[in-house]
Amino acid sequence: MLARRRNMLHLAAGAAAVVVAPRLAAADLDPAAQLIQRTASQVIELIKTRTGAARESGILQVLEADFDLNYMGRSALGVHWNQATPEQRDRFLKAAANAEAHAYAERFGQYGGQTLTLGRVTNRGGSSFVESKLNQSDGEPISITWEVRNEGQGPRIVDVKIEGVSMVMTRRSDFNSYIQNHGGKVESLIDELESRAKR
Amino acid sequence: MGEGSVKKLADIRRSAMAAIAATTLLAGCATRDTGAADVWDPLEGPNRFIFAINQTVDMIAIRPVSVLYRDWMPKPAQRSVHNAMQNLGEPVTALNDAVQGDGHQAMTSVARFLVNTTLGVAGLFDVATSFGLKKSDNDAGQTIGYYAGVQPENGGFYLMLPLIGPSNARDAVGLVADSAVDPFGIAIYSLSSSTAYWIYAGTRYGTTVIDTRVRTMTALDDLQRNSVDYYAALRSAYTQRRAEQIRLKRDRTSPQAELERRDNLALVR
Repeated sequence: MLARRRNMLHLAAGAAAVVVAPRLAAADLDPAAQLIQRTASQVIELIKTRTGAARESGILQVLEADFDLNYMGRSALGVHWNQATPEQRDRFLKAAANAEAHAYAERFGQYGGQTLTLGRVTNRGGSSFVESKLNQSDGEPISITWEVRNEGQGPRIVDVKIEGVSMVMTRRSDFNSYIQNHGGKVESLIDELESRAKR
Repeated sequence: MGEGSVKKLADIRRSAMAAIAATTLLAGCATRDTGAADVWDPLEGPNRFIFAINQTVDMIAIRPVSVLYRDWMPKPAQRSVHNAMQNLGEPVTALNDAVQGDGHQAMTSVARFLVNTTLGVAGLFDVATSFGLKKSDNDAGQTIGYYAGVQPENGGFYLMLPLIGPSNARDAVGLVADSAVDPFGIAIYSLSSSTAYWIYAGTRYGTTVIDTRVRTMTALDDLQRNSVDYYAALRSAYTQRRAEQIRLKRDRTSPQAELERRDNLALVR
């Protein structure tokens, strides 16, 4: 049981920054795989060459360019998206994107010399799923699946699954429960996210 | 008999299997399919209460001790402690591999145990991996999930166990089953006394807790910092992770996965 928890919660370690070592020739041609490869090498370059605030702002730029933070926010809100007013949706997306960006910046910041090997790409329901392995210097490699979608702005990352744990799904559970425990109001979640951003 | 009734029969059989699997104590496996986004948690009140206690114990004892262990214990020693704990679990892993019909992995797990116990000095060194004997990640919770015939996200109701952490009906039954068939526990209990058994179980549990806490530190800190409701985020992550493990076990025996594996073998040749 405890050993399972270890596997289950490799989240942050898994999302840490990566070097890309593409193995399959096919992976080079696929636009989704190309995106993952490019994102990973950009992040690793940033981590090697910059520190502190410069590194964080660089990572934020990569996130804004390569992740569809709006799509991620919308999926994370789930059923509550429909109940939200346009003004609330705007505020929510901004706050959620901000929170997500900071979370990823932090994860990517903990680079420990891992490498990323790209694997198979499968297409399902309008999304491409790029499988990859994060090879660690000590311990078992961690499997990471990147979901890539094109919502009109070119291919963007919309979810990251680490050892089967989807970041968006986890976030949705998290947000949903928070809203339920605060009178079913989206407003309370937005307030919380906004106040966290100020801290 | 029409196709509909055949399907119904199959459904009934599957439901019955699931019910048996979850045992009489913890039924409910077959009655509700829960997605990871909305985990079935009818005991949320008590669960959150236990979670709060677990969090407190973690904050004042487990985490500080784990940080000391991580920072002061030499890395090779930490690795050996981890290996030894894994090695003690190998016989039960082998049993679960076998019950799931994976004879090859079961034999591999047995071989791992024999190699690491002897050449690996009582499991302190994982020699088996360097011999190409792959570690299996298996337990009775996965065995139940493998045979239950429901979505692997559905592990029955969610359960927060005191001092152990996230679980559900399926995995809690699995936990009990695994410790009931632990050969070391049985041997110590029957050859010595129940006191000796509790010393063994307590030591093994305590060591595993610290080892696991060190290994999950970054991930749990991340999850806690980046969630507005840590309890719900952990519940979802746990459910998804366990579902993925079970799915991998099922895929191993599914025709398509089998074909792909053959393709891969063909490539190797």
